[in-house]
This record gives sequence, structure tokens and C-alpha cells, in this order.
Amino acid sequence: MSKSVTKSSFRPETGKKDRVRWLFVMPAMLVVLCLLIYPLFSTSYYSFTDKTLISQSADFIGLENYINILSDPDFIRAFTTTLKWTFFSLIGQILVGFTGALALNKIKMAVPRTIYRICMIIPWAFPSIAIALVWDWMLNGIQGFIPALLVQLGLTDNMVQFLSDPNLVLPTLICINIWFGAPMIMVNVYASLQTVPQDQYEAAKIDGANALQSFAYITIPHIKVVVGLLVVLRTIWVFNNFDIIFMTTAGGPSGVSRTMPVYIYELGWTSRMVGRASAASILLLLFLVIISVLYFIVIARWEKEGK
Amino acid sequence: MKKQKLLQTLLASTIVISLLAGCGGAPSSSSDGSSEAAGGELEGDITFWHSFTQGARMDAIQEAADKFMEANPGVTISIETFSWGDFNTRWNAGITTGDLPDMSTAQGTGEVIEMENAGVIRPVDDMIDNIGRDRFSQNALADMTADDATYGVPYYSHAQVMWYRTDLLENAGLEVPQTWDEFYDAAVALTENGTYGAAFSCSPNDLLSARYLNFYVVGAGGSLLNDDLTANITSQEAIDGINFWLDVYENCSPEETINYTVNDHATLFYQGTTAFDFNSGFMISGVESNTPEIADDISCAALPRVNADDPIYSAEVSHIPLVVWENSEHPEICEAFIEFLYEDENYIDFIHSVPVGMLPSLSDIAENEDYLNNETIQQFGEELDVIQTAVENGHAIGFEHGASVQASYLTSQGVIEEMFQDIITNGTDVETAAQNAEDELNEIFETMIN
Repeated sequence: MSKSVTKSSFRPETGKKDRVRWLFVMPAMLVVLCLLIYPLFSTSYYSFTDKTLISQSADFIGLENYINILSDPDFIRAFTTTLKWTFFSLIGQILVGFTGALALNKIKMAVPRTIYRICMIIPWAFPSIAIALVWDWMLNGIQGFIPALLVQLGLTDNMVQFLSDPNLVLPTLICINIWFGAPMIMVNVYASLQTVPQDQYEAAKIDGANALQSFAYITIPHIKVVVGLLVVLRTIWVFNNFDIIFMTTAGGPSGVSRTMPVYIYELGWTSRMVGRASAASILLLLFLVIISVLYFIVIARWEKEGK
Repeated sequence: MKKQKLLQTLLASTIVISLLAGCGGAPSSSSDGSSEAAGGELEGDITFWHSFTQGARMDAIQEAADKFMEANPGVTISIETFSWGDFNTRWNAGITTGDLPDMSTAQGTGEVIEMENAGVIRPVDDMIDNIGRDRFSQNALADMTADDATYGVPYYSHAQVMWYRTDLLENAGLEVPQTWDEFYDAAVALTENGTYGAAFSCSPNDLLSARYLNFYVVGAGGSLLNDDLTANITSQEAIDGINFWLDVYENCSPEETINYTVNDHATLFYQGTTAFDFNSGFMISGVESNTPEIADDISCAALPRVNADDPIYSAEVSHIPLVVWENSEHPEICEAFIEFLYEDENYIDFIHSVPVGMLPSLSDIAENEDYLNNETIQQFGEELDVIQTAVENGHAIGFEHGASVQASYLTSQGVIEEMFQDIITNGTDVETAAQNAEDELNEIFETMIN
């Protein structure tokens, strides 16, 4: 009885509180509506039309854009290239970032640790467009510093064509992306390593655990959720990365480094087929949503295990 | 407690109202849209987009705008500059967003026809008549004419010719090539010790392969378009041209140029890396600013021919126009300003900002003493004559069949560049790659042209 009285006496109060909360939340919701929902819906809408960049109207054409895109060999190739670009960039960034973080964690002196940390973060502090231009200049196959250095050191007979040899282009771009993205992983993993209780290592040492066992059974369980979230974020960012590739090779030569964002850009801005570009964007979005959901299922399981 | 809730509610309401007000489209100031004040003076604001991002040209335009605004206090001209590459993207997007200027330049005659096809620019015949129709090249006006109306006022012109290093040819005991075979032999002979005979570039983000292929095809008497305006990349002239440029790439060009755009490519000649190049008179200012010590060792000649006894020809002429946009609320101001730009003093000042690079589109100015009284024009007088002859005898790529959007798409889609990259990178057979490119272009024509 007293329970129901209490409940009813608080109902109007809760309603008012809710209204105030909604008023506070509304600006953020409006921003989300404007910046996320509208582009999403307009892209979805255009993907079912024959909209071009210079046409002022568009007709509904059903699934034609999707059929065209899925039967376009360039789409399949760009998608495959994007998977390679993302997978190898991610693996490289995690390995380098993780190693850098573990090394940083071992440095006990404050000054060297700060210097090392600043040095490691430098690549990530640069705008990616500046990075692309600098690497493009250093790897230039005519006068580039790195190919010229390799010749001078006697390691190669001719200037290596890092950005025009079809066999070297993608690995070269992946290396640039690893160099660019690893610091972000390093900083986050390092921050996570700071939270691992030191007494657990000491206890493990007393119990006779070696360094590898401590790493596998203490370090990894503590930081895997953070690493998992980083992997989700980096997967989406790397998958959608446009500027490094576009500014260095523009997807060439002959499409060997053309990833999905470059493919969509070409469809939309060069070929001006906004409808097809929208369909490709929706397909890309669906793929990333599926991947993200899978990641989050795994992370949720890890979190559950951690509790 | 009540006061606190009231405060919370007021604060939240203020945020929401502010945001809604910010999103609203209420005008911040009144605009009557009229162009003329009571006294008949011009009044209003216009936006002028142009692609003259280089210092001297940009300054010349700004000075002219300042002078015009001084003479017409009721007028404000807002100038926005975009690189050539960004310009097309900007107006394409502007069609959807509504962010378009009152007047602008265009990249060439092809873009004017694209704009006309999209229905976003106005006819400018009245302006041309006011400036003097007879003063303009008839070829230039024809290239900007669609449905009996002219859509661009030619502002300056240039043409593609063959540039070469006189010192390198002299040291190697070579003559200036007259035919494509002689050009190839000379380019191969000059490829040594870090110098390349000629570069062949094929980035799909630019038009260089289409341009070079067009040189060869037009020289052989062909065209990259058929009479019915379908693509023609599989003619014997085109196949010979593809094979010719593949040989140049293989034997005289840096490998890296497979991904080079116009600027990367031209820089190779500016810096003395290549012995030959094909470009307009802009080559002079490029060399002077990059490697002034070789500026006295460059010269130009007409494009090589297939056979020595073939007539001299011109394969690519660009007339850079001024256009007035359909959405402009003040076409009168645009018209007055454009006519002001063509007044002798203003026009010569502008053309002198890149002498020999920009040739006057007005025939009488080309003979005007004030125009000719310029150090660079006098130093490169022979080169100017070569380019002037080419300007008078040629059209834009594909415009041999008259102005068409198809001609513009030949160079704006990167299809011919992709074809060359495909052959070079994947070893695709020339005939197959040419057929694929032709099919792709025809599909684009069908999809994109109203």
C-alpha cells in the first residue's frame, strides 16, 4: 500500500524531470538528426535514383544502382583492396603500437620516457594530408630521397618505384599507414598498461611465472577490452581512410591501390553518378555495421568474463 | 528547489530556441534585389569565382574589381578563387546546394558546354556584341555556341605546342623534330644521365593521356569522336597513337609518371628533367620561376606530324571564357563588369600578368603596341607566333565536330588515362583496352547527357 502511494506521489515530479531532461537533450538530438540522420536518409534515397551531380532532378530506378555496383569488377576489386589495406594496416599498427607501449612502460626514468613518448606520437600529430605529401615527395621515383638513398647505398641498381610499381604500391601505402596510426594505439595501450595492478605481477613472480606467462595471464586480460575498442575504432577509420591514398596515388596505377572511399569518390565526383556512389556508400555502411556488431559482441563477452 | 527547476527549464528552452533560430533561414538583412539605384547607378553584390590562383593574375583581377567598385560605389564584388581541379567539383556540387556564383571563369570551351547542358549559365551574346563580335576569333565563339546562343565570352586563349631544350638538342647534334618518328628518335637519344627525352603521364585525375593521344590522332587526320559523337578510340589512327605513346613511356619517360597529373608532369620540364614537353606558353613562366637558368634554352615548335609532307596542324586550343550564371540576381552588374574587364587598359594589364602564357582573345589587342611592349613578349616573339598560329587554326579536343558535351567527357572522366594504365600495368592487349575504353566512354555519354 505504502509502496503504491509513494509511487503515485512521485509520478508528476518524474514527468517534469523528464521534460527538463528532454529539453536539455534536444539540442544534441537535433544536431544528430541534422548531421547523421539526414545524410543517411538522403544517401539511401539517392541510391534508388538515377541522380547525377549536375542533374537537378532524379527518377526512381529501384535496385538498378545496387545491381550495377555489385556486378562491377572495379567494385569487387576496390572492396578486396580495402580489406587488405584495413587488415594489414590494423595488424601492423597494433603490433608496432603494442610494442611501443610495452617499451614505454619499461622506461622508469621520467625524462627519457617523456622524450620517447613525444617522439612516438609525432606521426599522429601531423595532418594526414601533410603526411601524404611528404611521403609522396620522399618516395618519388625520379628524385625521391628514399629511392636515391637506396641506390647510393648500393642496395638497389635503379630508383625503386614505390608509388608506381603495381607490386609495391599497396605494401608501401600500408607501411605509411602503420607509421601514421601506430602512435594512437601506443598511447592508448600505454594508458591501459598503467592501470594493471603491480602486485599481481609480483604475486605471479613469487609463484614462478615467467615474463611471457605474466603477459598472457595478467597484462592481456587487463587491457584486452581497451585494445578491442581501439580495434573497432581503427577498423572503421582505416576502412574509410581517403586522404593518404588519394594524395599519394589516387588509387593508381590502374586501380591497384583503389580502396572503397576512392572508388566512391570517383563515382560521385569524376563520373558524377551520385546514385551509384550512394549505393556503394550504403553497401560500405552495411558492411561496417556488421563488422562493428561482431566486434562489440566479442568485447561484451570479454567484459563479462572480466567481471 | 522550484527556482532551480524554473532556471533549468528556462536554460534548456533558451538553448533549444537559440538552436532553432540558428537553423532557420530568416534573412539577416534585407535585400531588395534591385541592380540599379534611383540615379541609374548600379547597385548590388555579386560573387565572382575564378581559377587564377597564381599571384599576378589574381592581383590583376582584384585590381580591376577594385577599380570597378570605386567607379560604382553601390556595387560589391566578392571574389573567390579555386584551383582548376576544385573548380569543376565546386560548381557541380553547387547545383545541388544552390551555392553558385553570379559570374565565373570556366576551364575551357568544354566546360562551358557542360554548364550549358546543365542549364546553369546564361547566353552572353549581348555582351559579345557590346565588346565587338568581330574582335573575337570565330573559332572561339563557335566552340562556346549551343542552340544558336553563345554562352561564354572568350577571355584569353592558348594552344598546345611542342616545347624543347635548345641546348640539349644542340649538344646532341639534333634538329628540331618535324615528325613523330623524329620526335621519338630524338627523345630516345636524349634519355641519359638522369635526363629524360619526354614524359608520358597518365593519372586518371587529369587529361594528359587524352591530350597526347589526341595530338597523334588529329595529326593523322582522325578524331577521338565519330561524326555521330560516339567515342572513337579503336580507329587505326588511335591504335597507332596508343602504341606510339606506349613506346615513349617505355623508352624515354620516367616510370613514375604513370601516376602524374598536369602539374607534376610540367614540373619535370620546368626543372630541366625532360628535354621535350607539350604545353602552352605557360611553360615560360613555369621555367622562369622554377629554373630560370634554363629559360634562355627553351623554345617551341608546331606539333610533330605523321609524315614530313603533312600540313602543319593544331590539335588543342583552349579559350578560357567568362560566364554569367542563370541564378544571378544581378546580371546587369556582371555584364557591366565583364565589359569593364575588356577595356583596353584593364585587358592588357590582365594579359600581361602571364605574358605569352595567355594570348589575347581580342584580335586588335594582339596587335596593340601597349600589349606588344612587354619584355617577355619581345624575348619570346618567335614562340608567341608559333602559339598564335596554333590558336588561330585549332579547336578544343573533340570540337572538330562542333561544340558537344561528349567532347568534354573525353577528357574529364579519366577513361583514356585508365586505358593506358591498364595496358602498362596489367599488360592488357592494346586493341582490347581501346575497345573497353570506347565502350566505357559511350556508356558515360549515354548516362550523363540529357
